[in-house]
Amino acid sequence: MHIVIIEDDAVIRQELTQLLENALYRVSAPDYFENAASYILEQKPDLVLLDLNLPGKSGFDICSEIRMSSEVPVIFVTGRADSADELNGILRGGDDYITKPFHPPVLLARIAAILKRTRTDREKQETVFTHKGVELDLARGCVRYGGLEADMSRTELKILHFLFMKKGEIAPRADLVEYLWDNQVFVDDNALSVNITRIRGKLERIGVHDLIETKRGMGYRI
Amino acid sequence: MTVREFVKDRIFLLMLHLCCMLLLAGFLHATGYSAEYTFLILICWALIAIVSLGFSCYRKRKYFRQMEKLLLRVDQRYLLGELMPEPVSLEDSIYRDMIRVSNKSAIEKIRGIEEEKREYREFIEGWVHEIKAPLTGISLICENHRGEETRRIAALNQRMEALVELVLYYARSDEVYKDYMIRKVSLQEVVSGVLARNKYDLIQNQVTAEVRCEEFVYTDEKWISFILSQLVINSVKYRKENGACIRFYTEKQDRSVCLVTEDNGIGIKGEELSRIFEKGFTGSNGRKKERSTGMGLYLCRVLCGKLGISISAKSKEGEGTQVRLEFPVGDYYAREESEIPNLTNL
Repeated sequence: MHIVIIEDDAVIRQELTQLLENALYRVSAPDYFENAASYILEQKPDLVLLDLNLPGKSGFDICSEIRMSSEVPVIFVTGRADSADELNGILRGGDDYITKPFHPPVLLARIAAILKRTRTDREKQETVFTHKGVELDLARGCVRYGGLEADMSRTELKILHFLFMKKGEIAPRADLVEYLWDNQVFVDDNALSVNITRIRGKLERIGVHDLIETKRGMGYRI
Repeated sequence: MTVREFVKDRIFLLMLHLCCMLLLAGFLHATGYSAEYTFLILICWALIAIVSLGFSCYRKRKYFRQMEKLLLRVDQRYLLGELMPEPVSLEDSIYRDMIRVSNKSAIEKIRGIEEEKREYREFIEGWVHEIKAPLTGISLICENHRGEETRRIAALNQRMEALVELVLYYARSDEVYKDYMIRKVSLQEVVSGVLARNKYDLIQNQVTAEVRCEEFVYTDEKWISFILSQLVINSVKYRKENGACIRFYTEKQDRSVCLVTEDNGIGIKGEELSRIFEKGFTGSNGRKKERSTGMGLYLCRVLCGKLGISISAKSKEGEGTQVRLEFPVGDYYAREESEIPNLTNL
């Protein structure tokens, strides 16, 4: 997935690039904006992040120019939180509008949502993860192992999802708790421990032993 | 102006008339004029004096009545000078000219202050937009380099964002009507978003949250998020040491949807409860525990007022606080929901 960032603030541009690269997107971020529209059209990205206040030209004009020949999804990123601007952005053909200071996970979620909407068949989001023979099925809400199945609660699924996304790595407890808060599960450290214990219990019942390792003072690993 | 006041005002003139009448009567009597004729002359005099005074009283009363009515009708009362009716007497016209001069300078002064206020507000808004860029930079850097320190920086950064937002919304609270978009809003999503944005603060202070909001309301997402943020920040500030928890749930009522925010914090003293929405009120909690601006809840009330939401608070000291936001459900949407259930989901 290729994303073009048009942003004039050097620090934000650099950090946004890194954020998106960490999330496994391919990123181009030019530091000149005279021909932003033609640059975007040349790059043929899957998505454009467009700042509104650029030197010389406004993001709205660039968006209108792009729209003349391309339907690439555009997300406006701006410091101005005016409803009039937001409306203008949508009227000019923008797909979403996010205001600074944004919350990085929110930006990633919106990008993912738009990419999912624009390419429905080509790449469907994975809902089944496998590790060491253990199968996590997010759509059905269960874990399977050797023909046996254990139902998991919403919180437990979210925890397992995070661990499966980071298989082989240590997942710090703090990261895990923050991930849960970003995904509508508002628990503290103690509740996390309780949930991990419960998951281990359920896994043992279907014959999975020691899948989740505890790294003292650091976090969990599967 | 009543007749009595008018008579009292003209008492010297009346006395003068009376004196002159007495003198004339004495003089006529001394010159051997007959009493009947003297009496007739005095009656005539009195009649003329009464009629002329009565007429002037009538005109004055009419004039001032007109002005009083005018004062009641116009909403900028300092504009009276420009609207005054045509004066009847020289005095009135001199007064009118003076009032006009005085009003003119007052109006100029008001214009000047309004202009200054507008410029100040524009500067604050511009400044807030400028400062958002570095704040965004900091939060991106923290996100890209996760660790113990950046997590603490992120929490402070979040607090800064909230304070900057407070300034922006205060500057804008007069002009809500210029900047809102009413849409169908899922309370579950809004509340979750607010909690996710404040997560560093909440997690570091070991506050947990429960969200059970099935209802949808029609409102502006940005403003309602701001209001909820203030409530969350307060709940974190005035939490109890162990097992702090914030609960959000909705109650559907006949003509409204109620969003309830409940915490188990230190609560508010009974005698202070009625004043927490006042501007600049900090209360004993605000002074004791943390520095408080006294603006958060005040702004919540102002914004709720502009959005047509009613806000109220209940609290028991030592047990917790409950804030209710009541969103009215209009006839139009109520009908739409029941008769054309799928329209809003298309």
